[in-house]
Amino acid sequence: MTSSLPGFLFAIPFFAAIAIPVAGFTNQKLCRPVALGALVLLSIVSVIGLSKAVSHGPLSHEFGGWAPPIGIEWVIDGLSGILMVAISIVSLIALVQAGPLVKKELSGRLIPFYSLSLLLIAALGGMVLAGDLFNLFVFLEIGSLASYVLVGVTGGRSLLSAFRYLILGTIGASLYLLGVGYFYAATGTLNMVDMAQQLPGLLDSRAILTGLLFIVLGLSIKMGLFPLHGWLPDAYTYAPNSTTPLLASVVTKVPLYAFVRIAFWVFGMDAVSVQIPVLMVLGWIGAVAAIVGAYLAIWQENFKRMLAYSSVSSMGLFVLGFSLGTETGFAGGLFYVLADTLMKAALFGVAGAAVYQCDANTVADFVRLRRNMPWVSIALLVSALSMVGIPPTAGFFGKWYLVVGALEAEKYFAVATILITSMLTALYFFRMFQHMWAEEPLPLTEPRVLETPFPIRMSLGILTFGIMALGLGSDFVVGLIFESVIPEGF
Amino acid sequence: MADILLYRPHFVAFIILFLLGMYIMVVCLNLVKKLIGMYIMQTSIILFFITLAVKEEGTIPILMPSALALPPEAYANPLPHVLMLTAIVVGVSTLGVSLAMVIALYRKYDTLEEDQILEKIQ
Repeated sequence: MTSSLPGFLFAIPFFAAIAIPVAGFTNQKLCRPVALGALVLLSIVSVIGLSKAVSHGPLSHEFGGWAPPIGIEWVIDGLSGILMVAISIVSLIALVQAGPLVKKELSGRLIPFYSLSLLLIAALGGMVLAGDLFNLFVFLEIGSLASYVLVGVTGGRSLLSAFRYLILGTIGASLYLLGVGYFYAATGTLNMVDMAQQLPGLLDSRAILTGLLFIVLGLSIKMGLFPLHGWLPDAYTYAPNSTTPLLASVVTKVPLYAFVRIAFWVFGMDAVSVQIPVLMVLGWIGAVAAIVGAYLAIWQENFKRMLAYSSVSSMGLFVLGFSLGTETGFAGGLFYVLADTLMKAALFGVAGAAVYQCDANTVADFVRLRRNMPWVSIALLVSALSMVGIPPTAGFFGKWYLVVGALEAEKYFAVATILITSMLTALYFFRMFQHMWAEEPLPLTEPRVLETPFPIRMSLGILTFGIMALGLGSDFVVGLIFESVIPEGF
Repeated sequence: MADILLYRPHFVAFIILFLLGMYIMVVCLNLVKKLIGMYIMQTSIILFFITLAVKEEGTIPILMPSALALPPEAYANPLPHVLMLTAIVVGVSTLGVSLAMVIALYRKYDTLEEDQILEKIQ
């Protein structure tokens, strides 16, 4: 069905990103309302888009009236609709929370912060909606440029990690572009649907094989898949606390989406599992990534660095889930992506709040949270239990479906990996809780600070509630995934 | 391997440029040299795309009012050129952002060598 909704989903954050410097030029206080208003509107429109795509089938928009494959096409189907809803809602919550932190950390540079955040969200939306491989590259680079600047915006140490992120990210994007060139040379098209029709006859061509290799390598750098995660720990650790909830929750998930789209929609299940066994290789890489990431997280003293390695570990689990090759594994992988988006936003939000109020950077410092910040501690507890996988949180159901999918596929190494990863995750979070609750509280002479500002508490509360609600409503979400997302060929 | 040299010698040049750029990016400690390597690598990909458009005896893909009767095969493929215009813009903006970062690092640490910057941070 033709609809202009995909265009709106990009236009709302993009024009808000342009409007913010204009509005903020006269009065800086206008930046925040414009940004939050745009994101509320975006969330509503993306929910409408998802419900329409589920009930009426995919919505597509052709630019300039040129029909695909000649023209450029943007599509909302089940997968892109669900991701668009997740991106818009989580980024809204992340920006609500960033309010007090921006004032303190970025010394009130509101215009660049809000403008770049919205540009990043617009680019992520563009990547999710694009039905064309080259369009996807352009949005990949726009989003990456915005995130390099958001990482390095405070200068000093963070700038050096942003520069390294830029160098590695550009290598990733160049490899992706090279792969697209190989595909174009072999098929003569860039449109995903058209390419999917041409590929089955070309699967034994060396150009397609090499192109797929380059694309997978490039996207793996962008999504921080072990062993190509080199940029990720430094970037997350030194990035300002106001930007990490947004960066950590959505930025690496969207390159993963691009990989899933290319593997299952452009190539198709049969091609990537039988003819070119990419999924088998990625399954092993994902398993190693999940375990090594969780193992490295145990040894980190800095809380944000621990969470960064935890992201590396989660990325391994997603890749493992998608590579299982069963419907349940695919649905579990996607559900876990959604759950992790909420969990990472909440955990990095807690990290920001802890530094803001108690100056607690390391895991050992978290003893201060117990007395000073009871609300934030509850958010931390719930999201940590969800990371470990304790029912009824969202993380438990994500891992549950992954395990069921692995058993269906009879891949017992995957089952073992998920269980070992959960145990290692429990180890590094319980080490933190030991500091928080088992140690002697601080002497009363240390000054007591008040609870965090209201926006931080509210957004952490919503995220905590969301983690529980997604867990309790997992039947509905997984049913939706089964009904309207699962690609053909399973 | 030999047939690539015989029929597609330009591809070998692009592979050398790509690897050279990547080598400079990884090995050089000077930040500006890293960016030079990045630009060489991006350029090799742009050249690769452009050569996909070339046809023997192909003419410029502009529809002239005087010469209507040419079949589509007679024109060079315009799409790779258009794609690469976009890719050049992307590359230039990446370079712009990265040079701004290098300037900010230089003002703060007074050097462009990565190892010296790391020393000054600690």
